[in-house]
Amino acid sequence: MIFLTLEHILTHISFSVVSIVILIHFLTLLVNEFVGLYDSSEKGMLTTFFCLTGLLITRWIYSGHLPISDLYESLIFLSWIFSIIHMVPYFKKHKNYLSTITAPSTFFTQGFATWGLLTDMNQSKILVPALQSQWLIMHVSMMVSGYAALLCGSLLSAALLVITFRKVIRIVGKNNNLLNDSFPVDEIQYMMEKRNILKNTFFTSSRNYYRFQLIQQLDHWGFRILSIGFLFLTIGILSGAVWANEAWGSYWNWDPKETWAFITWTIFAIYFHTRTNKNLEGLNSAIVASIGFLIIWICYFGVNLLGIGLHSYGSFTLIS
Amino acid sequence: MGILNPTKPPCSSLFSTHFLKPTLLLNSKIVRLKPQIHTLYTTTTTNNRSRLSVTIITCGKLKTSKEIKNKDNKASGKIILSDSAPPVVSEESGGGGGGGNGEKVPVKTGTGALGFLKRLPRKVLAVLSNLPLAIGEMFAIAVLMALGTLIDQGEAPQFYFQKVSRRESFLGILHLEVGSHPRIPLAKVARRWNYLHSADAIRKQEFSDNLPRASVQDLGVILMGAGYEVFLKGPSLYAFKGTGWSVFPYWGDVLGPSGFLSTPTEAFNTEVHVNKFYMDYYDGGDIKQFHTDLSLFDLNGKEVMRKTISVNDPLRYGGITVYQTDWSISALQVRKNDEGPFNLAMAPLKISGDNKLYGTFLPVGDVNSPNVKGISMLARDLQSIVLYDQEGKFVGVRRPNSKLPIDIDGMTIIIEDAIGSSGLELKTDPGVPVVYAGFGALMLTTCLSYLSHSQIWALQDGTAVTVGGKTNRAKGEFQYEINLLLDKVPEIVESSLPKQSDVASG
Repeated sequence: MIFLTLEHILTHISFSVVSIVILIHFLTLLVNEFVGLYDSSEKGMLTTFFCLTGLLITRWIYSGHLPISDLYESLIFLSWIFSIIHMVPYFKKHKNYLSTITAPSTFFTQGFATWGLLTDMNQSKILVPALQSQWLIMHVSMMVSGYAALLCGSLLSAALLVITFRKVIRIVGKNNNLLNDSFPVDEIQYMMEKRNILKNTFFTSSRNYYRFQLIQQLDHWGFRILSIGFLFLTIGILSGAVWANEAWGSYWNWDPKETWAFITWTIFAIYFHTRTNKNLEGLNSAIVASIGFLIIWICYFGVNLLGIGLHSYGSFTLIS
Repeated sequence: MGILNPTKPPCSSLFSTHFLKPTLLLNSKIVRLKPQIHTLYTTTTTNNRSRLSVTIITCGKLKTSKEIKNKDNKASGKIILSDSAPPVVSEESGGGGGGGNGEKVPVKTGTGALGFLKRLPRKVLAVLSNLPLAIGEMFAIAVLMALGTLIDQGEAPQFYFQKVSRRESFLGILHLEVGSHPRIPLAKVARRWNYLHSADAIRKQEFSDNLPRASVQDLGVILMGAGYEVFLKGPSLYAFKGTGWSVFPYWGDVLGPSGFLSTPTEAFNTEVHVNKFYMDYYDGGDIKQFHTDLSLFDLNGKEVMRKTISVNDPLRYGGITVYQTDWSISALQVRKNDEGPFNLAMAPLKISGDNKLYGTFLPVGDVNSPNVKGISMLARDLQSIVLYDQEGKFVGVRRPNSKLPIDIDGMTIIIEDAIGSSGLELKTDPGVPVVYAGFGALMLTTCLSYLSHSQIWALQDGTAVTVGGKTNRAKGEFQYEINLLLDKVPEIVESSLPKQSDVASG
């Protein structure tokens, strides 16, 4: 009972703190950047991290096994990994754009886990015979870490795409303005207009430079986080195959979850291959990674929704 | 001799080679450099053009001493004559291991057919190692796999043929399939092996008969009473009677060997004997684990191995692996009014993962009457059996082995025992070590791809130096770093040839 209460408290604290962090993020977006606020949001993420760690440890002690055996627990674990990814650059004193991705991701996964469909799912359940193995820790933690890192990386790539295409739209919009404003009433106004345009073009060019730098940064960080995620995914899939050979009698059963994990792996392998080619680099690899974002969600969630196949442990109990 | 550009008349080329031979030898002995280009201008009368540039590329890049010796004899430095301006980047040919940078490498035309044969694998390799092709293949695989998950898998081939050929009855078949085996997990499909699903197959047996207006369940009860072991699954029934079986029958997937590597049947002259099947339970009553105590006997009846297997803990013997995959309840031993014991076959009512429900039925009164009534017994596991009377009202719960009688409608029922059956899977797969080696290689290469690897090429072109580079990691930082390094390269004011070569080497 104490455990349950503690768990309840920790879940709600972590979710509230993440909500506050998101609020602070929006504030810093609207108002000019306050250093103090930014710092407090980082502290908030740290609090979330500790709360989630406490939650996982409580659950571990309470249930007697690693708390990643069903969907609710894996969601908690996912947001825990997101908060770790958020922490790493903070401790290296390296401000980057990952935090703007990880904080909302934590918010959404934590929010989904805390309420929503899963209220009756968060009762800790017993471990079915097939899951009683040492491989559980290796396989599931690696898979969920891989999903988390790949989700972050693909979101960065999606951000890259959005920024790239937004630039194009902006320029078109500016051209329209130019056309509208190029009917001067008299000479002076024309001159002023011209000066304005000059100022504008100067401003946008410097802005374009920053945008270019931002795109470069996004590309760079996306690649880094994706390569970590890809490594985790590879380890996860291979350890899963070895485990399946122990438990089910075959290292590969073409079960829907396995197939989709393999599809995910292939998509990100394509991403890394496009990176090696100079002609396909940049936008194309970002498109591939954004496709990967959808594929991960199908793999992680969609297959569970159907609740078929051998990996039916994580499925919704409401349906089956 | 060097390779000549065929567009040039031989006289001029001869002239230039003789002219430059000493320097060429000198270069190849001492310096190990990127290719150097010497440009000189001559006038020829044979050509209409007044000026012509002769480019000679000497190659001294990373040769072994043996190759250098050979070079002394043959003077195999490359001399390319061309009308146009000298090429900016030109890698040396074949032997030096430079790994042509996408440049066309002049191939030695030795013996024609042999050369072609030698070139063919390289061409094939070049096609296969084409990056867009690889990416396209991976996309195709991903898309096909995604499509594959949408189609029902694991059905018999006829299912698909029917689907394709008889499109008008497509929905009908689909409906039938869904109705008859609702959501059977893939692993279980093979287990239907024991049952015959088509009436034709049954009619082909030595004995066959047709019973109008009959129920397979009734048949099961009757067979059970006659001492058969009865297995029911949906509309199919399978029963056997024999002396060679232990009390706890085992059933499992006995799949024929498939694949060119599998030759296990002769090697496995071993008898598998199930000694005991039992389950562990959590405090809440849920199943924790199920175990089967197995003995392996050789042909002489000697026990060679004994092990209690469970899920995640298979038995391995001589290339054969025995897995614990499933369990079910096959029968209840029931005593009615001190008659019996009868074996009542248990039918699976619900199978979804590890939440199972089995039920059986003890008919009361006239078995042949159209609306026969009786006592229903339900069990989730081997621990407890729930009994319902003729009206379907709950009567009580009894544990097997407790020998505690229960009175239902004037009858005394004693549940003697619940007979579980263990689902075993025997597998032989000699390919597993190969697959594991593949896993290891994949892990290794994935990790190796994290090592950063940068390459830089530079070329002296007159007074200018062309630098190119590529890296597999951190491309933005690499550019920045190279720019910093290139800024440090000193500018040459007085142009002199030896100094230039020093710069090129750096």
